[in-house]
Amino acid sequence: MEYKAIIIGGSAGSFQVVTKIIAALPKNYPLTVFLCLHRLKHIRSGFVEALSIKAQMPIEEPNDKDPVKHGRIYLAPANYHMYVELGNKFALSTEDPVNHSRPSIDLSFESVAYNYNKKAIGIILSGANRDGAMGLKAIKNAGGIAIVQDPKECQVPTMTSASISATKVDYILKTEEIIKFLLNLR
Amino acid sequence: MVTEDDVLKFISTIKNVSTYNFTNYSEKSFKRRAEKLLVDYKTDINGLMYRVSNDKEFLEQIVRDITVNTTELFRDPDIWATLKYRILPKFKKNKSIFIWHAGCSSGQEIYSMLILLHQLDLFDKAKVFASDINTQMLENAKKGQYKYRFNLGYLDNFDKVIKENPYNYDEFKEVPYSQYFDIDKAKDIITMKKFLRDKPVYRKHDLVNDGNIFYSKFDIILCRNVIIYFNNKLQNSVIELFSNNIYRNGYLVLGAHESILGSVSNNFDRTKGLYKKKPF
Ligand SMILES: C[S@@+](CC[C@H](N)C(=O)[O-])C[C@H]1O[C@@H](n2cnc3c(N)ncnc32)[C@H](O)[C@@H]1O
Repeated sequence: MEYKAIIIGGSAGSFQVVTKIIAALPKNYPLTVFLCLHRLKHIRSGFVEALSIKAQMPIEEPNDKDPVKHGRIYLAPANYHMYVELGNKFALSTEDPVNHSRPSIDLSFESVAYNYNKKAIGIILSGANRDGAMGLKAIKNAGGIAIVQDPKECQVPTMTSASISATKVDYILKTEEIIKFLLNLR
Repeated sequence: MVTEDDVLKFISTIKNVSTYNFTNYSEKSFKRRAEKLLVDYKTDINGLMYRVSNDKEFLEQIVRDITVNTTELFRDPDIWATLKYRILPKFKKNKSIFIWHAGCSSGQEIYSMLILLHQLDLFDKAKVFASDINTQMLENAKKGQYKYRFNLGYLDNFDKVIKENPYNYDEFKEVPYSQYFDIDKAKDIITMKKFLRDKPVYRKHDLVNDGNIFYSKFDIILCRNVIIYFNNKLQNSVIELFSNNIYRNGYLVLGAHESILGSVSNNFDRTKGLYKKKPF
């Protein structure tokens, strides 16, 4: 397999899209999928449960130092930054928010870029801020693939537009096309 | 940008001139802290190492800067509800309850516990000890004064834990905030009541080097969101220390996304998100 990890970042307006994407990935999908999504302060819990109803792959919020496994979806826990460290372990942190965000999409993407290099695929979805732009750039610079949801389709296009101006992205795709792309990787 | 080599050199410099040893801290977050230091002090890694070696006061400041001190009142309300309804009531018959907050930061976790103990009529029995490597944070904890606006979320957490009962939605107990803290909206501060502030014993303590400095074992040790900054090896040695200093059937309370991974986990049963020391 050419690719090992997919990381998806999203904020306002991304929940439906993420749900659609992970629902489409079959049970035995072989890559690791990381989700780094901003959440509203008052809905900190219940998110992973909501997603797990739709997902066919196993999905969880990792604990600190948990090993990263294939064929699983990992959701960054509310109120923690989530890194992947060398040796394929998670590391969590409660450092101050970056660009008002914790989890910070930039930080998660950068660590995935560093750990997986050209075996990583980064996807930025709808959102109302500029988090993720630097992270997607890091994925691209490390030789991975940079994808953004088509801003025309996004409920809030700020985040995807910021990513497109920060880096020369490989693909600008609608939700259905993102799904097709991910399924064809196999 | 700071390279891995820079980080190693920096860590070994600190180690050579002090007792502080960050060798076994988590790589990513330590590196980020180091990068932040360079920006904050407008220097490069060599400049930083020079000052750390030649200025004791600066070194202490750097140690305070490196630690991540974010905390909240009743952080993760579910855990506090578990403590309130499932754990603390078990100690009703005890003559005393020994509690240690390791890595207490600016004290919000301690005040959460004190308020809970008071609600359960366990306050007078409790002996509460608190420690951190960061002396500035210990001073802040003693003061018990926090920004009000920034911490408005605290009040939601307070309501969830103290006023509501997640096991029985019909139950609601009106507990005025003023019983435990004063809110000054104009000055934007919350101040904990004196009877709460006077309760804990505070000590500087480094989980890397120091053993149990409190001359007592504990019924409950809370060490939350501290070991995420440590690597596996250091995590295990810290948990070992806790394991040796918790009474049988006592509890270790870790952060919501922390767990015990080494063989020392055999000393505990995981129940309801907490670790209970096995009775043998
Ligand atoms: C993120 S705060 C956690 C505060 C609180 N327990 C909570 O969960 O809200 C982490 C604390 O661990 C402390 N710490 C870091 N390294 C330490 C060490 N080696 N020994 C003792 N405390 C340490 C830091 O100074 C900081 O105050």
